[in-house]
Amino acid sequence: MPMAVGGFRLNPISYLAFLAWSLALVALLPDDRAGLLLAAVLGVGALSGGRGLRILTRGRFWVTVASIVALSALLLGERDLQWGFLRLSREGFLIGVWMSLRAVALMLAFAISLGVLSITEMVRLFDAVNLRGLGFALGVALNLGPVLRDAVEAAYHTIRLRGGFRRPLQATRLFLVTVIANALRYGDDVVKSASARAFDLEAKTDVAIAVNRADVVFLCALAAAGAAILILA
Amino acid sequence: MSKSKWTVRDWIYVAVFGALWGILEITLGSYLHVLFPPLADTFVVGLIMAGIGAIIALVGRWFVPKRGAVLAIGVVTTILKAFSLGGIVIGPMVAILAEAILMELALWLRAVPTRGLYILAGALAVSWNFFHKFIMMRILYGRSIVQVYTQMVKEGSKVLGIDVAYAVAIIVILFLFRVLVGSVAGWIGWDLGRLVGRRLARG
Repeated sequence: MPMAVGGFRLNPISYLAFLAWSLALVALLPDDRAGLLLAAVLGVGALSGGRGLRILTRGRFWVTVASIVALSALLLGERDLQWGFLRLSREGFLIGVWMSLRAVALMLAFAISLGVLSITEMVRLFDAVNLRGLGFALGVALNLGPVLRDAVEAAYHTIRLRGGFRRPLQATRLFLVTVIANALRYGDDVVKSASARAFDLEAKTDVAIAVNRADVVFLCALAAAGAAILILA
Repeated sequence: MSKSKWTVRDWIYVAVFGALWGILEITLGSYLHVLFPPLADTFVVGLIMAGIGAIIALVGRWFVPKRGAVLAIGVVTTILKAFSLGGIVIGPMVAILAEAILMELALWLRAVPTRGLYILAGALAVSWNFFHKFIMMRILYGRSIVQVYTQMVKEGSKVLGIDVAYAVAIIVILFLFRVLVGSVAGWIGWDLGRLVGRRLARG
């Protein structure tokens, strides 16, 4: 469920502003203040329904984070700590923790923003900034996914059943040509459908994205939190 | 991307090639990312995916003969990748967009592309893979990652008994390998575009 402030749902611009805010703070803050940023990002993630925080349940995410802490403890600073057969550095470990905090904050900010936005909202956003063609292409691409997957599978099995993969290079070339040609043929069908419906990319549509009270409150809170974190830093 | 000159067909072809690249990123890319460990995957997975992506985008440019077409294909792919299931998509998203921008820059040199420009575009796109890890590490982890890498090179040099001067040579060879792979991708993109064009003309 997307975040709502004062009973209003936030629009995509607020989430993109949140992403830009996170990127700016990651660039500006010293390493040892990354914890504050992470706390703010986690707060936004919790308010937005927690969908973006699901990344925290993935093993690969924690392997990446743990590897950077481990590498830093092994490689950086003076090795002043014996842990089993390993000689580690307290200073390196601390540097690794700060580095990981920055990385986690940024990856969470991305996951939260993208977790809340939908393709439909992205298309509306493109329309609103006068890039209707790109929004249209995005919508078509999304719907083409299953059709193209079928085309890829059909071409692969046809070539395989005819023993085409005995000559791998020729088979790969044939496979690519078949898939792309079939995809373009399907694209032509979509063009015909659009023409039959008198679809016009130049036609004006009413897709202005209204900034509501919830967005204003959220953006003001972001600005205030950003200023506070920077002053504390 | 001057929208007045772009037809519905152009945008639908952009969607077709964006979807093709996107499907490969989401399926093959995610599969390869699972196979290779996080700290080593850029040089292997990134290289494979950059080469395939460059071929698809360059074939797309053959059928959408407009400046900005490759960039538009890249933007569509980036957004599809952003909404794919999977953990960390920030790296691949930056890579796809950067590769599309670099290919577009190369193709911007002439209104009508040539095989040479396709080769240059492919080489630029895939050579991004070389810088990607360092740039992403700097963005994600900050200045300290440079210390980690410097220390790793020193330790590696000590353990293997290889002089740091040779480390530079190895880096140059790794970079040139990417340029070579990208050039081949550009060459294939040109040929594939022509072959598909012929197939479609035959009906």
